[in-house]
Amino acid sequence: MVKIFGDSMTSPRMQQLAAVPLFAQLSRRELRIVDGLLHLRNYLPEEIIFDEGEEGQAFYIVLDGEVIIRRQGQGGVIAQMGTGAHFGDLALLDASPRSAQAVASKTSTLGVFFREDFLAMMDTHSRIASRIALQLARQMGQRLRDQRGVESLQHL
Amino acid sequence: MSREADYDVKPGSSGPVVWAAIIGFTCVLLFFFQKILWLVVPVLLALILYYLLFPPMQWIIYRGASRAMAATWITLFFLGASMAVGFAMVPWITNHLADGHGVVTRYMQGGLQLLDRSLRGLESSWEMLSEARLAETVSARLTHGAGSVTEYLEPALMGVMAWTPSLLLAPFLTFFFLRDGGRFKRFLSNAVPNAFFERSLFLIHGVDQTLRAYFQGLIKLTVLDTLTLAAGLWLMNFPGAFLLGLICAVLAWIPYIGSILGGLLVVLVAATDFPGDVTMAYSAVALFVLVRLLDDFIYMPLTIGKSLHMHPLITVLMIFVGGAVAGVSGLMLVLPLLGVVMVVGETVGQIVTDDRLRARHRHARALHRAAVAKDLLPGS
Repeated sequence: MVKIFGDSMTSPRMQQLAAVPLFAQLSRRELRIVDGLLHLRNYLPEEIIFDEGEEGQAFYIVLDGEVIIRRQGQGGVIAQMGTGAHFGDLALLDASPRSAQAVASKTSTLGVFFREDFLAMMDTHSRIASRIALQLARQMGQRLRDQRGVESLQHL
Repeated sequence: MSREADYDVKPGSSGPVVWAAIIGFTCVLLFFFQKILWLVVPVLLALILYYLLFPPMQWIIYRGASRAMAATWITLFFLGASMAVGFAMVPWITNHLADGHGVVTRYMQGGLQLLDRSLRGLESSWEMLSEARLAETVSARLTHGAGSVTEYLEPALMGVMAWTPSLLLAPFLTFFFLRDGGRFKRFLSNAVPNAFFERSLFLIHGVDQTLRAYFQGLIKLTVLDTLTLAAGLWLMNFPGAFLLGLICAVLAWIPYIGSILGGLLVVLVAATDFPGDVTMAYSAVALFVLVRLLDDFIYMPLTIGKSLHMHPLITVLMIFVGGAVAGVSGLMLVLPLLGVVMVVGETVGQIVTDDRLRARHRHARALHRAAVAKDLLPGS
């Protein structure tokens, strides 16, 4: 009985997903549905995840490890993504080229969400998709505000 | 605004080498599939059922059921409905099977009489044909050459019996396609190296979309053909118009030959059930020609035509190639197979010719080799 009705949130994978801010508003059942759509990929340090200019088909969630976002060929780091962070989310909106290169800086495990799966989820599980989309929109808004803050400080 | 990358990727149209490989590989697959038809036919039927049942399964998922639950419900509903139709038809089938030999002979005789009447009509108009005794010659050849109905009926029945266990696989396969389709895609993509991963996701999606568009198009085409033929035959007072229309629409799944067989079937029914009225048979032929034209110019472009994005010349040539390589099964399989091989071939062609992706893959392999041999290096 305990096994049938037990809390599968105790599995390491579900714990990893529950810790991702993007999925903060999802229930256990909803997380299991998301888990069914995620692809898991392992990357070694210095392994390229995607290149700048490449057509984006998926967005990535760092389940373990660290990823850096940088301008290709210039070496300047734009952002460091630790466990729970996500990147490449503009690929969900369209197939536009990636604006920067993503490289694993430590041994990393990433969850990959294919755009077409996300779009299909908007039809089949619109509640889950809208919750994820709302979180994404909030975080994009935060990024814009942060960027504006930096720019206004530069003008002072 | 995004900055252009330092490398230059040119994903574009495939070249002649890729296209030659696509056509060659399709032929090899057709040849191979012909050898394992016992497996290919149920898988093909299961795919048709899968794409038929997928929209109602999605409808159930929209209403909050899990995929596994929705797949179970929809499969049970389909099996229940099929069994209900089967049981309802048992008396009709038993009646016809009991007199199967007589029915087939009656319709064959009706067809032969129609042919004989038509040839005698021609003889009365053309003296040359009359002198050649065309009607007598053809009739004698058909009577002696065709043999008895039992000669054909027995192997056909044995074939049906032999194929039944294999065909029973179809609903079983359909259930697992419906339930585990997503897992299967993940299983496939797991085998792909990181460098090619995103492209492969797109490839698997493309194959799924191509097959979905083709088979759902085929189902829509069958419904349209059935309705048009049934309406036409019903207006002409044909007995069992809907059933005849459905049989002819399903036979049309085999390009060219299927339509001819369907037309022949309706002509036989017309010749037998309306023995004194030759115009019924001619009207049936006219109806078939009309439906064929509707198919080619309206229905197919609206349904299957949109799915494969193939040049009509290639489509026609490949149907002939399919028939030459693998017979009737080749005629049926060639278009969906070519559609899938085309998507796979074009994407693999883009990946193989993408120097940057290959360089990234080599880099990842070098990193992996260094990581696994780290503690083996001297001094580490």
